[in-house]
Amino acid sequence: MEAKVLRMLVPMTLEGLKVTLGVFAVTLLLSLPLAVVVAKLRMSKNRIISKMTGTYIYIMRGTPLLLQLMFIFFGFYRVPYIGYPFSREQAIVIAFVLNYTAYFAEIFRGGINSIDVGQHEAALVLGLSKTRTFMRIILPQVIKNVLPSIGNEVITLVKDTSLVYILGSSDILKAARSVSNVYAAFSPYIYIGLVYMVIIAVLTRILDKIESRFDYYR
Amino acid sequence: MVLSVENLSKSFGKNLVFHDISFSVGKGEIVCIRGKSGEGKTTLLRCLTSLEIPDKGTIKINNKYLCKEENNAIKYAQKKELQAIRQEIGLVFQNFNLFPHMNVMENLMEAPLFLKKDSYANIRKRALELLKSLELEGKEDSYPFQLSGGQQQRVAIARACMLNPSVLCFDEPTSALDEETRGQISKIIRYLASAGIAIIIVTHDNAFVDEIAQRIITMKDGEITIENQ
Repeated sequence: MEAKVLRMLVPMTLEGLKVTLGVFAVTLLLSLPLAVVVAKLRMSKNRIISKMTGTYIYIMRGTPLLLQLMFIFFGFYRVPYIGYPFSREQAIVIAFVLNYTAYFAEIFRGGINSIDVGQHEAALVLGLSKTRTFMRIILPQVIKNVLPSIGNEVITLVKDTSLVYILGSSDILKAARSVSNVYAAFSPYIYIGLVYMVIIAVLTRILDKIESRFDYYR
Repeated sequence: MVLSVENLSKSFGKNLVFHDISFSVGKGEIVCIRGKSGEGKTTLLRCLTSLEIPDKGTIKINNKYLCKEENNAIKYAQKKELQAIRQEIGLVFQNFNLFPHMNVMENLMEAPLFLKKDSYANIRKRALELLKSLELEGKEDSYPFQLSGGQQQRVAIARACMLNPSVLCFDEPTSALDEETRGQISKIIRYLASAGIAIIIVTHDNAFVDEIAQRIITMKDGEITIENQ
């Protein structure tokens, strides 16, 4: 019995991994740099820009990611004037990137605020431009400070990828569900739980490595 | 005169910090600004280094206007010129504000490299010379947290000197130092002055003022008195 389960589960899991890891990687790659920009906009002296960014973050954090996925795929094309029928893949990427950018942006904002104003002033007196100051003096220190919180979100993201089932995408959790239905067994869920744990173990090690690369200064 | 300040005023809201201050500092001169805390010493220094915008008055460095009064408003020099004038006046912060993620060499070379003051090789050479003269040889690759307070201060001085300023300001330079390193800092300041740099020191350390000042500006109730030593 268990052999049959595995014979069906393994190939489906390998297929599902493409979706799970794909959504994970694309979301991370796009949302991290975007989040730095959004954090800066949120901190803009221009009231309108800061308010608009704040509203965006509020909507993203104020509604479930599952609902956002549904809205972008099933609801957005009905919106007058700007509506557009996104494909399943497009909807997934848009929802995940918009959602995670909001969370990352708030982490970056906290990180930028935590940098001593003296660092800005020293750079200013030395004649560095605003861009140079941010890129060379502020951002590297921010990254060190926010790494633990970012790591937390990164790990949550792995598990959030399972939400794509709502649009009919076949990730690893969907593989478990299909096999479970066919053989009326629960064990596929246990196996997939272990797969998640392996992914997260690897990620934790990578995150630790990155953190220790910033240990050279205090 | 390297630096001249005319009729400078600054207030925060209704709170008057100083009013109608005028003084000037010559080449290689050491001037101390003293006063109780809250008398606006640091604010004055911050106005000189463009970290704070004065309400009124004129600041001239090497006869170029950093800012002047025009139609009752403060007007700064044009962007390009402003950047050049600003480099003429350096500041050593009270807590040094070194860049913690950069080693000593990177701290020194960051600004001159960005401002394209010279070739990489020449900037590096200049940095090594400065470190040598400030007894920081061998600390090139150290990070700020690995240095003592006195060493950090000397790195901050070296970093400011990389831009060859005509005026160098110190905010409470003795506050973080023990007796021994204190002797060292007066020696360094005299050495910088002898090289022609005008020195402005904000401090409430009277013993230090007596030891080093050629002229003393005392701030009290928003006004200043000037005495020669």
